[in-house]
Amino acid sequence: MLDTILSQAVNGLVLGFLYVLIAVGLSIIFGLLGIVNFAHGAFFALGAYFAMQLYRSFGWPAVILAPFLAGAIGMVVELSLIRRLYGKEPLLSLILTFALSLLMSALIRLFWGGAGQPFSPPRFLAGFVEWGPVLITTYRLAVLGITTALLIGLWAFFAYTPYGRILRAGSRDAEMVGLLGINLPSVLTWVFGLGCCLAGAAGLLAAPLWTVDPTMSESAIMPAFVIVTIGGLGSYAGAIVAGLLVGVVTALTIAFAPEASAAAMYVLMAVILLLRPRGLFGERWERFE
Amino acid sequence: MTITPAGPSVTRRTALLGAASLSAPFIRNAAAAEPIRIGMILAKTGQIVDQSEYLAQGTYLALEQQNNTILGRPAEIVWLDEASPQGAQQNMQKLIDEQKVVAVIGGALSSSALAMESVAKRAKIPFVIDNAAAREITGKDCNRYTFRLQAPVPVQARALAPYIMGYGKRWYFITAAYAFGQDILRSFRDILRAAGGTEAGIDEVPLNTPDYSSFILKIRQAKPDLVLGGVSAGDLTTFLKQWNELGMKGKIPFAEIAIGDTDIWGIGPDAASGIFTKTWYYNNPNNTPEDKAFAAAYQKKHNRPAADKAWMGWFTMKSLLGGIEIAKSTEPAAIVAGLEKWQTQDGDLAVHYRSWDHQLLRRTLVVETKPKITDKWDYFDVKASLPANAADLEKVFGDKQEIGCNMEST
Repeated sequence: MLDTILSQAVNGLVLGFLYVLIAVGLSIIFGLLGIVNFAHGAFFALGAYFAMQLYRSFGWPAVILAPFLAGAIGMVVELSLIRRLYGKEPLLSLILTFALSLLMSALIRLFWGGAGQPFSPPRFLAGFVEWGPVLITTYRLAVLGITTALLIGLWAFFAYTPYGRILRAGSRDAEMVGLLGINLPSVLTWVFGLGCCLAGAAGLLAAPLWTVDPTMSESAIMPAFVIVTIGGLGSYAGAIVAGLLVGVVTALTIAFAPEASAAAMYVLMAVILLLRPRGLFGERWERFE
Repeated sequence: MTITPAGPSVTRRTALLGAASLSAPFIRNAAAAEPIRIGMILAKTGQIVDQSEYLAQGTYLALEQQNNTILGRPAEIVWLDEASPQGAQQNMQKLIDEQKVVAVIGGALSSSALAMESVAKRAKIPFVIDNAAAREITGKDCNRYTFRLQAPVPVQARALAPYIMGYGKRWYFITAAYAFGQDILRSFRDILRAAGGTEAGIDEVPLNTPDYSSFILKIRQAKPDLVLGGVSAGDLTTFLKQWNELGMKGKIPFAEIAIGDTDIWGIGPDAASGIFTKTWYYNNPNNTPEDKAFAAAYQKKHNRPAADKAWMGWFTMKSLLGGIEIAKSTEPAAIVAGLEKWQTQDGDLAVHYRSWDHQLLRRTLVVETKPKITDKWDYFDVKASLPANAADLEKVFGDKQEIGCNMEST
């Protein structure tokens, strides 16, 4: 029994890191722009498809470009569509990004077809590590390492760089930041691009594990929303803690009640929202009141 | 001075009748120009969408090969989504009410097919199911208007069982928590019990599970002789990818029924493994000349080999078109009678829909992944086409008592 719990909890933590990476981009976009991006899953899928295509055309080193391509498309989307929604009714951004998600899925289907595309982890990351009952594949360890590095980098960026401080200030009081002579609209384009880039990075890392097909966007978007809600809307730390929590709870549910595993994260969300309606790390924000 | 009409007097009624009779041929021509519509309900979104795409391609190809005509009249396919069982039911009703379709094809998922066959029964519209395999479809839920191509789960289970018993009799079941998966679980548990085997574990998994690693760790701890799968389409692809990633490929054998080519193509040559049943395989040397011609036509049109699902769409449509030709009518009852009479030869076997349950009687293939896959499309070696003896076909598909179909009451 203890072996099972240990093995599943560690596996859940590793899975949780992937969930964190999917959710953190969504959390950043919501926290800084106030946009609920339903197209986040589509950018995740786009990252996976770009990685697969770059690998086929140029080999493994080229896949690093995939998140940046997803981010660049995100910036174009922000410039052409999203920026018209700032300060408007939240429902508008929901409708627009939902439509965008459908459009992007249809475009993926048009370019690559509806069937799954083969894409396996690189051979140099084949194999696994075993410590007693715990088994982790080398590839998942790499996912854990890359995600941790990305999260630390992002935290340092927001906490210690002038650019990060402008972003945080702009998310609280855009008018004041503008009065200080900072071109906030251009900054916001980069923020949306960054969120989409992170979704693309999650897609790249998930592609060798999941089925690369147009429906992978749907598999990503729901856990992402649940994690962001549990963690507290817009909270960076909340997304990390909630992602790991969802991973562990899902894995332990699989161990003891597998048929309920898909519902586990929703039950967790319901319980946390009942106890703390703003989510684990949710704050009171003037602009959302 | 008065002016009187020169000709005979014409009443208003006569004039109207005359106009109507003059325009009658044009009205008839307009009706003739109205295309005959066949409805198609296949998923456009969700986990079965990749299989549906191929099913649809095959269906369209069958009609194209008949110059898009039925009984000398133009014909077209109207395709609506199979988003969920309720959605599929609503769309089928919409096809019947608004598009006036003469028959419906589709049903990629068993849950949707079961929901749709109740609409077929109520609306008295022929419904030919191309993919769903749950036993109830032509079993206890059968009806006069529903026909089904794919062999039901117990038939495929019986075909596969002799090939997997050799690995040992302690099995771990991982099956999807919906009609198809539950039917697989039930069928193979019966077979295992009858053979004196034991269950190492049972996991019923939700649809669209993105990560199976926790399930695979449980299987690894249980150390079964064989893993019996019952997850389909994209879920099977994900499972086998992660099965390989966690180093289980080649350690514990994996078996499942009714694998689709698109499922295995999505896994990739490095990760693919297992022994399966299949309805059709493009590279089976024993394919009929018609099947080979279909494979060539598909390859020419789509520039890739035909997936089994493409053949299933094509064959289902071909049987429906054949049934309509025999009926020489688009009346529902006549089409049903036509489908019951329709048959095609496959070697020594007359492939046909059985009259009392409307199940297509045809052989099932047992295939195994090649030890080394060098062609990105050709993953399987065909191990057998069962039953070997055509006379055993009725027996393999079960008798009336086992199937439980009672059409008299429908």
